[in-house]
Order: sequence, then C-alpha cells, then structure tokens
Amino acid sequence: MIVGGALLLGVTLAVLGGCLLLVLAVVAVRARRRSRQQRDQMLLSPLRGPLITVASGEDDDGSATEQLTWATGVTRTVLDRNIVELLTKIRGGPADQLVRVLEVHGAVEAATGDLRHRSSVRRARAAQLLGLARADHTVPQLVEALRDESVEVRNSAAYALGLIGDPSAAGPVLAAIGMPDRGLPAATAAEALQSMGVGISEVLREGMRDDNARTRVVAAHLSGERSFTRGLPELRHLLDHDADLTVRETAATAIGRLGRDEDAVVLARHTATDEPLSLRRACVQALGELGDGAAVPVLAALLDDPDPRLAELSASALLALGPVGRDALSGHEDEPAVRTARLVASLQKASA
Amino acid sequence: MSAPAGEPEASSVRVLVADDDADIRDLVEFKLTQAGYAVEAVPDGISAWEAFAANPPQLAVLDVMMPGLSGIDVLRKIRESDNPSVPVLLLSAKSRDSDVDTGFAVGADDYVIKPFSPRELLHRVNGMLARAR
Repeated sequence: MIVGGALLLGVTLAVLGGCLLLVLAVVAVRARRRSRQQRDQMLLSPLRGPLITVASGEDDDGSATEQLTWATGVTRTVLDRNIVELLTKIRGGPADQLVRVLEVHGAVEAATGDLRHRSSVRRARAAQLLGLARADHTVPQLVEALRDESVEVRNSAAYALGLIGDPSAAGPVLAAIGMPDRGLPAATAAEALQSMGVGISEVLREGMRDDNARTRVVAAHLSGERSFTRGLPELRHLLDHDADLTVRETAATAIGRLGRDEDAVVLARHTATDEPLSLRRACVQALGELGDGAAVPVLAALLDDPDPRLAELSASALLALGPVGRDALSGHEDEPAVRTARLVASLQKASA
Repeated sequence: MSAPAGEPEASSVRVLVADDDADIRDLVEFKLTQAGYAVEAVPDGISAWEAFAANPPQLAVLDVMMPGLSGIDVLRKIRESDNPSVPVLLLSAKSRDSDVDTGFAVGADDYVIKPFSPRELLHRVNGMLARAR
C-alpha cells in the first residue's frame, strides 16, 4: 500500500516536472525569438527610411537604393530577409529595385548555392528568394529542386517557378506530381502552372495522357480553367475512357467550360443511370455551363431522378440555359428541386 | 512624387490608411504623403473606425484582413454612417473573384490586390478623388 502510494507520488512529480520543463522551454524559445526580433529591429532601424523610400517607388535619384547596398554583416542579412518579405507585398518598379539590392549583396547567388544546403529550411528559403527575385537563370536548379527529399523544398521550388513564369518549367512541374515517394502536391503544381501563361497548352495535353491519375486531373482541370480548346480531344477521351472517376469528373467540368455544342451529346451520355452518381452530377452541371439547348430533353428527364441533388442540379442547369431551359420547367414549379434551384439562382443574382 | 498635372490639389485632402502590416502601412503612408496628401495611418480596424468617426477623411484605404474589425466591417460601418459617400479603396491579399465581389458588394469603390504597385495605388487614389469631386 505504502509502496503504491510512493510510486504514484513519484509518477506525479515526474509528470509535473516534465510539464514545468516544457513550459520553461517554450518561455525560453519565445524570449529568444523576441530578443532576436528586437535586435533585428535595432539593426534595421537606420535603414528603415531608405527601405520604405525604395519600396514605395520614391527613390528617384537612386540614393536610397545605394544606401541599402552599403549594408554589411548581420545588418545585411537582416535587411535581405526584410527585402524578401517586402517582395511578397509589392510589385513593379520598386520590387525590381529591391531585387537589384539583393543582387548587389550577393543574396541571389548565395541562394542558388543554398539550394544544395544540408538544411531543408535553408533550401526552401533559397528557392523562395530566387522566385521572388524572378531569377530566371536559376530555372534549371529550381527544376532539380522539384525532386528534393523535403516536401517543403519541393513546394517552394514550384512556387518559385510559378513566380518566374517560364513555360519551359511546366513539363517538369506537371511531372513532379506523379514522382514516386516525392510527389508534388497537386494544388501546388496547379497554382504554379496557372502563372506560366499560354505556352503550356501542349504540356497539359501531354499531361492528360500521363500514367498518374493526379497528373491527369491537374492537366484536365487547368485545360478547362485556361480555356485551352486544343485539349478537347484529350478531355473527351478522359471522360469516356479513364479508369479514375475523379479524372472523368474533372474532364466533364472542363468540357462544360470550353466545349463545343456537339459536346452536349458527349456529356448527356454520362448522365445515364448506370454511371456513377458523382459523374452524373458533374455532367449535369457541365451541361448547364456549356449552354447548348440540345441538352434540354436530357435535363428535363432528370428532374424526376430519385437523387434529389441530381434533380436540383438539373433544374439549375435548365435555368442557366435561358428561356428554352425555363420553358422545360413549366409543370414542375412545385417540385422541391425546382424551388431550391430558383432560390439558389436568386441568391446568386443578389450577391453578384 | 507630387500629384500629376490635372489631378486634384492633394495638400488639403486627408486620407485614412489602415493596415496591420507595418511595411504596407508605412509605404502607403509615405507614398501618399509624398504626393501631398495628409495621411493618418492606423494599425487595425477598430482604430480605423474610431479615426473615421472622429474626423471623416476624404478617402480611406483599408486592408481587408485586420485584427478586431476587418476592412469589410469598417467599410460596412462607413456606409451606414453619416458620411456614407467617402470613397473607400480595399487593399488585400485575398485575390479570389468571390473576395473581390464581396468587397464591391459591401460598397468598395476600388479593390487592389497584394502584391501591388505603389504607383498604381497612387493613380487609383488620385482617380477616385477626382471622380468624387
């Protein structure tokens, strides 16, 4: 009994001691961070004026820029970090001037080297700096960083390539999605590709034939978003034949955005009851988006579908088709699907 | 940089700038001051509303995401105040169409997305004030 009580007391004290150590560690880390922030502010204080002058585009004679280039040692490191932060907030001439300061400080060259640093934090920061500095000569190194063992570095490299916007990097970014064990998150890749202009349409067509389903999803999605009509044959093929349901749904949505009138038949085919419900819903929405009157009979028939959401989407699609679609709703006005679709449409109109 | 020829005389015009990001707040204040505007810069939405209520400016530049009251909240209060027609420019990193739609729906006169060009911001401020006269 006594031994049990002593053991319980010992365990309790150990747990309390552990908690106390944890609290002390957190306080110490916070104090260190605050002291570093204060030191940084103090170091930066004499340069704050010139920095704001350059960042606001008011350094007409270049004297403030010159003052920033004189910084040395720790002050230069702190200033460069501040400049990188500012580059996420401003663009145009002032941003270009700040990049020139980074170049004079050797920060761009150092970041290129840091892409091979043993610390993944340093590698990720280096990639971010190169992107914000629009260092297009480092595209090959950033492409290589897409295969980095750290996902943060891969993300940062994709972000940088998006900022640089060189379409020659589109292929590697898209391919990085499907890399075994080191894949790039699809959303990151899509965001980077969005920034690469119209020169990536052929890469997206190629991507829709990739073995990896996530790569095909991103390629199909972006083809629709960017209205790349040259990808229509691939999109139709994906909708009809792909083994992955998400790919088929994404292709349907993209066809709705950029398809031709004849695509109404293609989409309507996949609203049949033997198709997966999520695909039928995607196709119904796409028919509304496509806007071809040939879809009216198919959509009108789906107003009685046992799935209430599909019936509601069909009513919404008919409303989107204009007078010809609205005519098809007569006689169904009291049905919940039609009432909901009308309510949603009026709310959308009110918030537009 | 002074207000371009043909723009309204800036010196007597008061502009309220609200942004919790000191970099943005300082550079917008500096840019507009250099153009001759009298700028009051504040770090949060509550201070922005208090400054507006105490002495309504001719124009307000509001960040959307601020502690306390957001720029959208402040804008809503301005539109319900005794000075509802003061032009308001929203400055925000929120760049989705729906974010911009919300800003205009609540009554913004303009919406600038970060990262932004300080020069473009000044042109927009000049234009809004010219239209308001």
